[in-house]
Amino acid sequence: MPNSLPYEKMLQECLRGELRVVNAGLPRSQKQLSALLLEEYPHVICSDGSTHFFKRRELEYLASMINTDEQEALLLPMLIELGSNQAEAAIICQTDVEEKVISKTLSMPTTPKQGRITIYKPQLALLRKRLKTTTQYVFSPKILE
Amino acid sequence: MPQQLIKVRPTKIELVKLKRRLKLAQRVQKIVKDRLSILTMEFLQTARETVEAKRKLVDAFSGAYKALSMATGYHGYIALEKELIATEADPKVVAGSRNIAGVRIPSFELRGNGKQLRGYNLVDTSSWLDHAAQLAEKCLEATIEIAELQRSLELLGMEIKRTKRITNALEYMIIPGLQATIKYLNMKFEERDREEKGRLKRVKVLVARG
Repeated sequence: MPNSLPYEKMLQECLRGELRVVNAGLPRSQKQLSALLLEEYPHVICSDGSTHFFKRRELEYLASMINTDEQEALLLPMLIELGSNQAEAAIICQTDVEEKVISKTLSMPTTPKQGRITIYKPQLALLRKRLKTTTQYVFSPKILE
Repeated sequence: MPQQLIKVRPTKIELVKLKRRLKLAQRVQKIVKDRLSILTMEFLQTARETVEAKRKLVDAFSGAYKALSMATGYHGYIALEKELIATEADPKVVAGSRNIAGVRIPSFELRGNGKQLRGYNLVDTSSWLDHAAQLAEKCLEATIEIAELQRSLELLGMEIKRTKRITNALEYMIIPGLQATIKYLNMKFEERDREEKGRLKRVKVLVARG
């Protein structure tokens, strides 16, 4: 009789590996926009120990949209949560500044619900086009529900 | 295509194990599918940007060569060479990386050398040379942009290929195989129950006959 253990182990490894790989780019801690603007090489350290660089052009674009106080409140990279529904994504909002930045970038009003702004795939593509390095995907555990 | 059954002992414990395995495989499939959709979206976006960047690169180079030939015609080849030999350009390219759904993508950014002047003598040169130099800088920017985009496109493409293989294996081999085996085991247990019932009935009749 074949042993089922290696098969089970392989699937477990695959699941663990996939979750680890997809969330490897998550930052250990987010940084304020004002602090990043002062850095020579603006970056954050990711959970896998690698560095995630921000483009100065993008930081300056964000800074042009908001005032100095808001620059201190805005934490980067902004996190885009992908849940169980494949058609939409949610941007995690810790303050009102994220909402302001997103609505200005997408040129449309947005309303956060329970600390999240829900956007759809075409808007997500537009957002990622304009804010390539200042946004980051999070594969939420809700994906498995 | 008929699904290949997994060779397992027809016991209830094996059925429970198989059901657990199926649930796990479905969870993996969900993550992999989501990742694939994000990677595809990013790939298409990068492809569109690459086309745009290539067009910009061609325009920038054709404009720069035109401006350079105008400047050469105005100043003369030797005079221009003399000026340009003294020019010291020290452009800095900051190279880093970013992560898109588990794929490490290179990120390049051109930084100026902080000098206001380009290095050549402003008295002996004209605005033709300024224009040519300005367009040459644009060429450099476009080259760096295309380098980043093309490498991103390659890396995303390779990752999409790999992820698709995993998705297909799960969708067409592993999950249907597990489902078929679970179905087979269930049928086997039902059959065993029916046989057991028939046997009991027969025993009952024999006992009744005495």
